[in-house]
Amino acid sequence: MTLSTPILGTKPGCSILDARSSIQHLASSILLLVLSSCASIPFLAPPAKETVVYALGPREGYTSPLNTNLKPACPALEFGSEGFRLDASHEHALRKVISTLGSNKKPRLVIAGYAPPELPQDHARALSERRAQAVRQRLIELGLDSANLQTIGFGNDFSPSGPSSGVVVIYQQ
Amino acid sequence: MNPRLLLLLLTFAATGVRAEGGFLGTLKSWVGGIPGLGGGKQVPVEAAKKTMTRIRVAPFTGGTGTSAQAALRKELLASREFFVAGPEEKVDFTLEGFSVGGRVTGKLRDARGKELFQRTYAAPGLDENLKAFADDVIFTITGRPGLATSRIVFVSDRSGRRQIYVCNAEGGEVSQVTHDRHGAVSPSLSPDSSLVAFTTYRSGFPVVSLLDLHAGWERGITDTSGTSFGAAFSPDGSHLAVVMSFIGNPEIFVSDLNTNTASCVSDSIGAPSSPSWHPDGRQIVFSNDDGRGPKLQIVEVPQKEGQSTRLFHWRTGYHFCTDPEWSPDGRHIAFTTRKNGEWAVAIKPYPNGGAKLLQSGGAQHPSWSPNGHFLTYVQHGGLFVHDVSSGSRRQLLKGFGRISEPRWMR
Repeated sequence: MTLSTPILGTKPGCSILDARSSIQHLASSILLLVLSSCASIPFLAPPAKETVVYALGPREGYTSPLNTNLKPACPALEFGSEGFRLDASHEHALRKVISTLGSNKKPRLVIAGYAPPELPQDHARALSERRAQAVRQRLIELGLDSANLQTIGFGNDFSPSGPSSGVVVIYQQ
Repeated sequence: MNPRLLLLLLTFAATGVRAEGGFLGTLKSWVGGIPGLGGGKQVPVEAAKKTMTRIRVAPFTGGTGTSAQAALRKELLASREFFVAGPEEKVDFTLEGFSVGGRVTGKLRDARGKELFQRTYAAPGLDENLKAFADDVIFTITGRPGLATSRIVFVSDRSGRRQIYVCNAEGGEVSQVTHDRHGAVSPSLSPDSSLVAFTTYRSGFPVVSLLDLHAGWERGITDTSGTSFGAAFSPDGSHLAVVMSFIGNPEIFVSDLNTNTASCVSDSIGAPSSPSWHPDGRQIVFSNDDGRGPKLQIVEVPQKEGQSTRLFHWRTGYHFCTDPEWSPDGRHIAFTTRKNGEWAVAIKPYPNGGAKLLQSGGAQHPSWSPNGHFLTYVQHGGLFVHDVSSGSRRQLLKGFGRISEPRWMR
């Protein structure tokens, strides 16, 4: 940012009046600088919404989908490309899960992520877990108890049933 | 015979070359980098004498002493670590010993005659004993492990499930080390190759476990909720870097194997994977996907509690980078990337320098040999070893199911 008014002190030989005028000029320039450099004034703007990440509770008592046939709470949530952001179709599906489970106040769910076989294995595990965590986070925001939601990132170590492998499946316990 | 060719052969016979056989000779002849055995650069003897550490193998006594001396000389020549001198030449180190019935007792002395070590090798075969002796000599003098006794750990689905296997650097002596229900993946070998850390699905959930390959005991490292994977031993073997997600987000943790405590070192809020240690143990490189594809990040490991550390993005010039591994000298990082829709292995000097594509056409998951001369990786389910300097390569294992996630002992 460039200032049109000088902000440096008085020149040699200036009067006191000139000096006062220069000080006023300096103060107004600083104020202008501060205000113009702020996109928003922090103490006037509403606080940004913080995302609270909920830690996973103990896994005791949960059954892995590898050990038994678990019933999915909804059709698998498909993730077309890379990334882990939820889109409108995921939101729609998750709201439907909430309404379906409405009578059950504390449903216990295992949210399992799967990744396509062509991805590097370790990256696939991380991505599938991150997608499962994104789904879990949204379910918590929609009202489910965080203590009853577990996640697994299977990566491409195992394939889910269904046409696509880049999915998150919500299993009911 | 062509007189020029004859003259060339006679010249080789008279002056010798730095490598002529042994374990590394086999490896180098496979990948074409041994002078005189299959291409690569030749180093004149006089130049090698001036620049390399000079070592002499004195005559071995005992019934198998002559064979032991000749085989040891070949191993050391092939290692490319030393100039192996004749009986009259001035040397920096001398090897001596005796061998009876394949058993070997060897001694290493410095130029002043001071004994640096003396060990007895009593494995069933002479070759095995000499490989171990040669690797001990290489490690004592250079500080770098030899390859003859090194091991590669990998995953194969040949049994119907993904399980973990170990082989030597020639692709031989393959043994299955896990027989877990639902399988085991993401392995890493400790620096002395006595321990393997891996992710097991035995319980149906992914947890990291530690298996002692000699004693057979196993203990869990991360019996936490969520997913745990990507275990990597620190250079001194006392810590494991591992991805855990019990905090509600996958992050890189460093676990102290002595105290069973772990601390989070990353702050990715993404999908981090594949941590790998710098040889000084003070930094970890890993891949992190923040939603726009995986890229490489480097984090400093706190050396004491409460110490603030830096986490920064390390640019490679590629958009998709996974499976990074630091070279043993810390000067390069190898990683998997994508070129023209196919996986490729690339290396890039650290901290600065241009990335170089080492192998395309589906190659992925690179891992450095302990001496940094070779990389192993998988390509379409096969296990390969690649000479970094010459660019030649060879398939180590073929027809062994679909192989993935190889890691060379560090």
